[in-house]
Amino acid sequence: MNPQEQILVALQDLDLMIKEAKESQEQLEKLGFDVSGVEELRKARAQLTEQLDRNHLQHYERMAARYGRAVAPVTSDMCLGCFSRIPTSYRSSIYEGKVRMCESCGRILYFP
Amino acid sequence: MVRSDLAGVPMKGEELLRFFDPKLCIFDLKATTKDDALRDIVSLIAPPNSGTHQVVLDMLHNREQLGSTGVVKGVAFPHGRSLAVSKLMAIFARSNRGVAFDSMDGEPTHLFFVLLAPPQDRANLYLPALGRLVETVQDDVLRDRLMKAASYEEFAAVFREG
Repeated sequence: MNPQEQILVALQDLDLMIKEAKESQEQLEKLGFDVSGVEELRKARAQLTEQLDRNHLQHYERMAARYGRAVAPVTSDMCLGCFSRIPTSYRSSIYEGKVRMCESCGRILYFP
Repeated sequence: MVRSDLAGVPMKGEELLRFFDPKLCIFDLKATTKDDALRDIVSLIAPPNSGTHQVVLDMLHNREQLGSTGVVKGVAFPHGRSLAVSKLMAIFARSNRGVAFDSMDGEPTHLFFVLLAPPQDRANLYLPALGRLVETVQDDVLRDRLMKAASYEEFAAVFREG
């Protein structure tokens, strides 16, 4: 996982956490958990986005607005966002250090 | 109160055990601080220098910013969803010395139940699993057995019989 890809995955995890903290607040509080720090998470998000290349951030925001989740994992050379085939060359060293997008849906690809 | 019934489907102890792996249960966590404890626990699922390790660790640290998952009576439930996780998994760690984990009662934390889920948890097992864990350790007798368990079999028996 290259550094920009790592930040994009962390950003998506954080966005999901912020969303669930609101949606599942009642359930989590019933279990005895404190979920009052959403503002802290927003600050963490701002710090994370500062580390992202501007183009990657813009693409992330566009994909998140369109699909809900901007980053999709790749399994068996398939984008799990749209189930399209991913070129096998995406795994080659040519792409090392680069953020790769699905040619079909545009989602940012995460290679576990 | 049946706390595992959060999503309308109560989870049995036996079912919860499906998410534990004996290899991901440690009975002598050495860490004494929150950062070290989380790092050591995440190291069980991914090498410390890997991207997966860092992503999962970042997610758990962020969850602690939302509010400490160290509740009361020496128990913590670090949990969250990450794209770096492909299936729901649970990790158990016990510290005999105790960890300073910002718990709600200020006491050291001894029992850690870490629950990690992928973003696309279609079966919606994450919250019921978390509920079942919370429900089990609320019982003083079961919690005491978890503190004394010397093997995975003894650990699992608490959930089977609890």
